[in-house]
Amino acid sequence: MRIGIVCPYAWDIPGGVSAHVNDLAVALIKLGHEVSVLAPAESDENLPPFVVSTGQPRAVKYNGSVARLSFGPVTARKVSKWIAEGQFDVLHVHEPLAPSLSVLAVWAAKGPIVATWHSSMDRSRMILSLAKLAQTAMEKISARIAVSEAARKTLVEHVGGDALIIPNGVDTSYFVDGHALPGWPGEGKALVFLGRVDEPRKGLEVLLKAFPLVRKEFPNIRLLIAGPGDAEEIIDDVPLSDRMAITHIGRIDNEKKPDVFASGNIYVAPNTGGESFGIVLLEAMASGTPVVASDLPAFQRVLEYGNSGVNFRNEDSEDLAKVLIATLKDESKLAELKEAGYGRAAVFDWAIVAKKVLEVYESVRLPGVKIEPDFAGQMLGRLGKLRITPERNDLNG
Amino acid sequence: MGEASGWYLGLLAIAVWYLSHQAGRLDRLHHRIEVASAALDGHLTRRAGIAAELVLLNLLDPASEAYLMQSAHDVLAGEDLPDPQRLSDESELTEALCDALEDPQDVIEFRQDPAAKQLLSELQAVCNRVSLAKRFHTEAVQDCLAIREQSLVKFFRLAGFAKLPTALEFDDRIPVGLAK
Repeated sequence: MRIGIVCPYAWDIPGGVSAHVNDLAVALIKLGHEVSVLAPAESDENLPPFVVSTGQPRAVKYNGSVARLSFGPVTARKVSKWIAEGQFDVLHVHEPLAPSLSVLAVWAAKGPIVATWHSSMDRSRMILSLAKLAQTAMEKISARIAVSEAARKTLVEHVGGDALIIPNGVDTSYFVDGHALPGWPGEGKALVFLGRVDEPRKGLEVLLKAFPLVRKEFPNIRLLIAGPGDAEEIIDDVPLSDRMAITHIGRIDNEKKPDVFASGNIYVAPNTGGESFGIVLLEAMASGTPVVASDLPAFQRVLEYGNSGVNFRNEDSEDLAKVLIATLKDESKLAELKEAGYGRAAVFDWAIVAKKVLEVYESVRLPGVKIEPDFAGQMLGRLGKLRITPERNDLNG
Repeated sequence: MGEASGWYLGLLAIAVWYLSHQAGRLDRLHHRIEVASAALDGHLTRRAGIAAELVLLNLLDPASEAYLMQSAHDVLAGEDLPDPQRLSDESELTEALCDALEDPQDVIEFRQDPAAKQLLSELQAVCNRVSLAKRFHTEAVQDCLAIREQSLVKFFRLAGFAKLPTALEFDDRIPVGLAK
């Protein structure tokens, strides 16, 4: 099958959606399909061969943070050209409400179109009005997928209709080969935290408050923090003797992730909110590292309500310390969690997830029918685009 | 021309634009429903074909084989969707398949035979596609009905001669023995 995939966010800036698109494309190619991905990119260097760039994205405020998106007449022409030349059997757009390539592609195309909703957003006027503007595009989509219950809810509230839930995938074979960093986890055991250190929703503070309590039971335990951001200020609040047992290695490359997971006896995910799925938990499980995570609904689902990981009360450092101590003390529990984690991660392996997505493609496509340019759609597309330029609209309002 | 008639012309232009916009939406939705219905029809036809092939492998008891063959034949000889007789034939075929492949243990035994294994995994895939395609068709119909029910759309007959779309109701269960 020839599949055209559209990613609205900059390819070369790490992010959940572009990582998802990359993994999906790679998995589909492995299954023997031809895939072309259209995405904005800062530079054409180091792009995988299946990516077609629409050039430099612009920074726009969207969904509470700055997103790098791509739009404008030149971009619209590139999108149309890609669609006209692609001869795709199916067009698969991601995050179609972001004012970027995805919605342009839907406007410009006719035929079997699949869309995947990623983010979870609270019902807001901004998104509602974007949905209204993009209504004609939304109505052309033949099949809707959401990566999580929260993403599905966002779709239902803003656009209406329903979506099939197909969760994110994990490349389990990639994580299984991690080698612990030299000297880790060590005799006295170690905990691992991964994520932006100065982003409160990632919950590092909750863990840092729990850490001294854990050290009372395990005096030689250490904490490995991996992730970008300035941690000094938060770490300074930890008593000096405990601070000595904390190592912050800063931002890590994707290639290092499996090694970081392998460096700890437990991976801690103290996130306080804003998580719709919890892919990192699955990555840790695929690495064979038991997971202790806050009891956000998404995390509870990923951990099967305690079967493949342990939850603690969100934002409760004392409960976290209690859970960590109990789990660390129980060697058989740790071994059990490790095995359960492998099994749980396998369910979300990209090979399996990609096949589910492929079934959706198969169910909407018609043999002999290709994605074609939709000229009426393009005219409307231009109209729509004029109304969502960042200069005129405070997209965050 | 006075200022007032200028206003009227403007309002008229907006009204005309709005109506043509709604008509365009309807047109696209009708198209989407047609494509969805054709895709579903294709998967259903394939399903009936596989059911008939399954009979030829002589795995089942004669009674189940006769029932399965008859219902597969009815589907293949029937009209295109959304013919009501076709829909009831599809439910009948689902029933026949569910009866024949009710026991997961049987299916494991059938799969010993390489030809049957191949056929059963195709059947499993196509049953899955049928239920996805039916679901996506229903979603398209709901999107369309939401507009068709608007009073302006009704008054100006923006849907033209297009029939009011309906969801295709039939039994799309996946046989227990095939479900994972």
